This record gives sequence, structure tokens and C-alpha cells, in this order.
Amino acid sequence: MSTTLVWSTITIYVVIAIVIAYLSRNGRQNSMSGYFLGERKLNGFVSALSYSATTYSAFMLVGLAGLTYNGGVGAFGFEIIYFMGVSLVAIFGPRFWLVGNKYGYVTPSEMLGDRYQNRWVAIVSAIASCLFLIPYSAVQLTGIGYLLQGVTNDAIPYTTGVIIATVLALIFSYIAGIRSVAWTDSLQSLIMIITSTIVVILIVNSLGGLSGFFASIEANDPQALAVPGNGFFNFWTFLGLTLPWFFFSISNPQVSQRLFMPASLKSMRHMLMGFLVFGLIYTVVSVVWGLSASILFPGLENADLATPMLLSSEVVPPILGVIVMVGIMAAAISTIDSILLTLSSLFSRDVYRNVKGDVDDRKQLLIGKIVIPVIAVLAFLFAQLELDLIAVLSVASSAGLIVVVPAIIGTFFWKQGTAAGVIVSVTISSILVIYIEATGGLLLGLKSGIWGIVVATVLFMVVSLMTQPPEQKANEFIDYIKERMKSKK
Amino acid sequence: MNQKEKFWGLIILLVVILGYVIPYTFLSDVTKWYGSFLFWSILAVITILANYFLTTDWSDEE
Repeated sequence: MSTTLVWSTITIYVVIAIVIAYLSRNGRQNSMSGYFLGERKLNGFVSALSYSATTYSAFMLVGLAGLTYNGGVGAFGFEIIYFMGVSLVAIFGPRFWLVGNKYGYVTPSEMLGDRYQNRWVAIVSAIASCLFLIPYSAVQLTGIGYLLQGVTNDAIPYTTGVIIATVLALIFSYIAGIRSVAWTDSLQSLIMIITSTIVVILIVNSLGGLSGFFASIEANDPQALAVPGNGFFNFWTFLGLTLPWFFFSISNPQVSQRLFMPASLKSMRHMLMGFLVFGLIYTVVSVVWGLSASILFPGLENADLATPMLLSSEVVPPILGVIVMVGIMAAAISTIDSILLTLSSLFSRDVYRNVKGDVDDRKQLLIGKIVIPVIAVLAFLFAQLELDLIAVLSVASSAGLIVVVPAIIGTFFWKQGTAAGVIVSVTISSILVIYIEATGGLLLGLKSGIWGIVVATVLFMVVSLMTQPPEQKANEFIDYIKERMKSKK
Repeated sequence: MNQKEKFWGLIILLVVILGYVIPYTFLSDVTKWYGSFLFWSILAVITILANYFLTTDWSDEE
């Protein structure tokens, strides 16, 4: 792929995206809820595209394709289980939204802190999020680095790609906070879904249409169409990989924070349904992509190079290949900029404000804006370490966030839950997950995500039952939701 | 949870369980497109429908 073509397409993308980011401003980004939540006024269409862009990162077309390349159709199942997990939005979404409006929450951790009536709950859950999401952002940066390096045959070195992405993520989050992020996200996901679908159609055609495509897989590697197949996806690996992703939509603050943003529940419905349609197409595209690569380029040493190989192959017209490539880069950026915003809001609202005490809205916003570049630099440094297979690390970070799931479920459904329960469960299970990840990723043959959810649930329940719940708040909070949800039979 | 949430929630739960069990049991030897690939695709479509019905009465009240 010609380096000039790559550079010019990147330039065009940057110019258009910056213009859109500027146009998205409406002059009301001078408060916490204005800057980080778009004043809770996002419409369904933009929310859907932006939610998709934030969720589906470089991981999909690079990591998931790579996972499919290695393990076959099990990767599809993995992504479909995640997809089913997004249904949690249909249950938790309206509840987040209702209490967000009533109590003015800006972050999910703030909600936990208030619900359990303890600022340490907010602090601990915010710190846990930062701890796991910075590696996750780094994973996105790594994706871009590999991609640009792969398609240009090292003409754009790994580090250059990583720097470009970091800087763009910073710019998009700075211009108008969540509004510029949401609008540039929408641009990216629209272009991406169209172009990557075209690429898949071209590739499948070149393999002789759908029947030819499946026939070549059956001829080359029939095990790729079943699980456990070649053994890559044995059941326990599958469970360990999928469990954290199943809860992704409520455990990851960069997406659960989105549940505070829609203008109405109808907008949220559009967001959810739009996302599901988008997600299914994108999932199929990524998996077909990986399977095609395994037919066309068997024996790659690094599966993450499957996508770059496909894009620079003869089947794909160069200009289309370059657009998709820049689209993937944009996909990673759209994930990182959302994470940057979320983490900085968590830091200023939940950590700084709670530790410092009595910090007004304007000051919180200022602190948030100062923290954004700090987090970006941390992610950049992490990416420089060039850790192994993208998907695996990405899952490790969501395995870490799974530890807040019991506390979040308890927030809405269990009046007996207590602050001590949350703090103990989140702290100890986070440390356990990190320990497991640091010592090879398995404990007694099980992955960290399985341990994370089981240990966090047990600890949360046992410690809660031994301590005194904030009865008044719990009743007020849960009864309010019950009352409001009753009207929707 | 209201009645509607309970009903569709159970359907989704069932779909998730099937998504883990069937491919690893009945379909583990079916190395064709109509094996796990098709099965998971169907479950995904059922998930979309369940979400559609679950959210039909979400209002535009701000």
C-alpha cells in the first residue's frame, strides 16, 4: 500500500473530523454535565453511532479478525455473547437514566458512592476503572501502531502510528467534550460500516461467493467452523473470555456513562436498537474478514497482521483498502477519546472532589481537563511496551472491570448492599485479577474474569450481610425506580 | 422488574445459555456453515427482537 496514499487519506480524515468536531460545539461546554454528558441531551441517532464507535474499537477489525484467524468460529460466538450482554442496557439503561436525571449524576462511580452513601465507594470504583481502562486504551493504540506498520510495510513505524492516535484522541476530546467525541464517532462509524461491508463483499466474491467462501473453509480447515475446533477455544477459555464481555455494557464506565446522556428513554431506545443492528453487521464483517484471511494467508506468525494483509491484498482496491485502514485507526481513536473523557470525569468528580472536599463545578471541570492529557500519556507509554495479542490484553482489562458488576446490580436491586461490601469486593477482587493476569492468566485452570465475578459477588454479599445498609437512601432510590418503571408495563 | 422485563429477560437468559451449551455439545462436530455459525447468528437475531419488544413503550418524556 503506497505510503503517500496512506498519508493523504489520514490528512483528509483529520481535516474533516476536526471540522465536524468544531461544528459540534454549542457553547455550553462550561459545566461538568455539559462537557461530559452533553447536557443529557444527546439524540438517539448520534448516541447509537457513538455508542457503537466507542464499543467497537480497533479490537474488532484487527483483534477479533485475528482471534478468528487463530481460533475459527469460536471468535464469532465470543462476540455474539458480548452482543447478547448489551441487552443489559434494556434493563439497566432506564434505571441509570432515571436516577441520573433525579440526582444529577455525572459518572457511574458517583452514582455508586451516593447510593451506598460513602465517598470511598466512589473513590475506589473510580480508581479501579482507571487502573484497568488505561491498559485498555493502550491496547487501542497498539492496534493502530500495528496496522499502519503492517499496511505500509514499515514505512510508517509503529511509534508514529501510536503518536498520531494519541494526539487525535486528545484533540477530539478537548474541542467540545462529549459533543465533539460523539459527532466524530458518528462520522467514523458510518464510514466504517459502509466501507468494511464493501470490503467483505469483495473478498467473499473473490473466493467464489458465499458458497465458495464456506467451501474453501471446509476444504482448508473444517475445524474453523466448530468449537472447540482446533482447541483454541476450549470451553473454559471461551467462558473466561466471554464472561467479562457479557457485562461490558454495565461494567465499563465509558459505555455505562452513556446511559446518563440520551435526551429521553425513546432516544435511549434508538441508541440501543441502532447499536444492535450496527453491531451484528460489524461482528459478521469482522469474523468473515478473519476467516478469509485464514484462507488467503495461512501461517501468519502474528494473527493481528491478518487485517493489514487483507487490506493490502490484490482483492481490495488500494483506495478502499486505505479508507478502511484509516477507518480502523479512527475506530481506535473514537474508543480512546471516550475513555479519556470518562476517566478524567471519574478522576475529578469522584477522586479529586471526594478527597479534597467542596470543589465547585467549574473547578472540577478544570481538573478534568488537566487530567485528560495525563491519562493519554500514560496510555501511550503502556502502548510502547508492545504487549502480546491485542484481544487477550483487552479482555484482561474488562476482566478487571467485571469486579464492579455485583455492586452495580446491588445498586438497583438489593437494598441490603452496603458500602463496606462494595469496597471490600472491588478492592480484593481487583487485586486478585491483577495477580492472576501477572502470573500467566490462569488460577486453577480458570481465567481471571471468572474469578473476578465469582469472588466479587461472594465478597459483596457476605460483607454486606455483616454490615449496616444505608436504609433510607436504599429505599428512596429503589422505590423511586420501582414507581417510575411501573408505568411501563 | 416489571412483568415485561421478567418475561423478555428470561428469554434473553435462555438465549445466552443456549449460546454456551449447544455449540459445545450438539454442534461441536458440525464443521459446516449451518453449524455453530448459523446457530449463533439466529440467537443474535432473537436478541435483537427481544430488545425491540422490551423497549416498545420507552417514552420521549425528557
